[in-house]
Amino acid sequence: MKSDTNVKLPLAFIIYALIALVVAQAILFFNNDLLLAGQFRLPDIWMGAHFLLLGYAVMIAMGAMYQLVPVAFLTPIWSQKLGYIQFIITAIGVTLFAILLGVQPDNAIYGGILAIIGIIMFIIQMVQTILKQKNKNMMTYFVLGAITSFFLTIVAGFLLAWNISYGGIGSHNTILASHIVLGVAGWFTLLIFGFSYKLVPMFSLSHGFSMKWAKPAFFTYIIGLILLISSFWLDFMFLETSGWLVLFIGFSFFVLDIKEILAKRIKKKLDKPFTFSLLAIGNGLAIHLIAVLLKVTGVDHPTIWSWLIFLYVMGWIIFSILGYLYKIVPFLWWTHKYSNKIGKEKVPTLKEMINEKVSVVLFVLFTVSVIGLTLGALFQIGAVVFIFQGLLALTSLAYAVSIVRVLFV
Amino acid sequence: MSLEKKVGAALFEVIDPELGINIMDLGLIYGIGVDIEDNVEIKMTLTTPGCPMHDSITNGVKHRVSQIEEVGNVHVDMVWDPAWNPGKMSDKAKGMLGFG
Ligand code: HEM
Repeated sequence: MKSDTNVKLPLAFIIYALIALVVAQAILFFNNDLLLAGQFRLPDIWMGAHFLLLGYAVMIAMGAMYQLVPVAFLTPIWSQKLGYIQFIITAIGVTLFAILLGVQPDNAIYGGILAIIGIIMFIIQMVQTILKQKNKNMMTYFVLGAITSFFLTIVAGFLLAWNISYGGIGSHNTILASHIVLGVAGWFTLLIFGFSYKLVPMFSLSHGFSMKWAKPAFFTYIIGLILLISSFWLDFMFLETSGWLVLFIGFSFFVLDIKEILAKRIKKKLDKPFTFSLLAIGNGLAIHLIAVLLKVTGVDHPTIWSWLIFLYVMGWIIFSILGYLYKIVPFLWWTHKYSNKIGKEKVPTLKEMINEKVSVVLFVLFTVSVIGLTLGALFQIGAVVFIFQGLLALTSLAYAVSIVRVLFV
Repeated sequence: MSLEKKVGAALFEVIDPELGINIMDLGLIYGIGVDIEDNVEIKMTLTTPGCPMHDSITNGVKHRVSQIEEVGNVHVDMVWDPAWNPGKMSDKAKGMLGFG
């Protein structure tokens, strides 16, 4: 059985993404005054946000899927060649789009179109691959749900970019709210749920767990998304609160399964980077709960909600990815370099390819900077925002270097 | 030493790169068969179906066993039934994982 992807393709995505992560955090650092003012809807922040979300998170997700879908779904990638073409178009499109958003928002649509073409090629690639899977399981549905949300996100993104260039489309703010929810909660959250069902048992060596909450988690979370997005269009406060509540319940179901998987694990001492991804799950649950509480108590201040979205993105999505990447890159490189040497000569274990101590320092710094940044912004202390966004940018740089180092062992 | 025993001993040197434990102690080897021409047939499993290390570990087994002088062809038969479970591990492996 030869189901693995050539290592070059996932690595191309990952290396691009690491550069984008550093660029994004640097842009946000140079605009720390706007962060302090809670002004997120400005060109420079759009640029930083899309370097982070499209340039880093989406590109990592794509690279990881090229690697993981074949092994987890036991079906080869539909077309490797399309993969390379898709990488180049998406990388150029995303870079151009994010830069234009910052310097010439009126023309961002042109970069946006290229990015969208790349993303649609990716969606076709994944749908074709998944359709060939013989025995569909819950993971398949999570991934299909995520991909559908991804498609809707870029449709909404297109309308937004169109409006900035040409205007004429009503309900801009409603489209924006839907765009954000579909992008961060629909696409990323469903995707991380799906892959966690494979990765958490694998990294903790768990056996005999049930996954009995997977189906309820999937349907509940999707219903929550639909309720929340409908509430924007129908402008119905009650629907918005119930949307968040249902999302929280869906997330809790997922957490129940993860708890069972971990309780039945055989590997008692978990690797640090993986523990960080598990911590992100805890963050995700807490953020969903905070959203419900804010809605129930009628807190509607836009700055608070902007920072909650920030925490949703950083504390849950980005932290999950930061942790998993520390496992995925050594795995990719090991397979490339040592796969044919195992049994012939002494080869390192995956753990020997990374420096766990350094990873712990980095993960602590990430956590400290996100907490510091949020507190600085909520209490409006400029120096604190400056320092912690600076720390976040430097930590991102150190993180990127520490991952790239793996390729030299 | 019989060839079966030699093969078994060699397989203690094939290490699962994720866990850092050899595949014998993990209990992944279900059986070793040798025919009159000294061709070796190894029946084995992995801890999880769809394990990304699939190809690497089977190749590792082939490489290591082929290094034994008398061995003819090596064939690895990957089976999922019976499924691996933690009870198949040796006490040493359990100890290394902090399990049991
Ligand atoms: C998964 C991918 C994406 C995610 C998670 C995402 C997320 C976001 C977020 C969080 C914002 C708010 C940022 C801020 O206010 O500073 C935003 C705004 C925006 N997005 Fe995206 N986005 C994605 C892809 C796209 C794509 C592909 C396009 C267009 C081709 C696009 C176009 C826009 C535009 C034009 C805005 C600014 C709208 C405004 O504030 O009026 N996005 N997006």
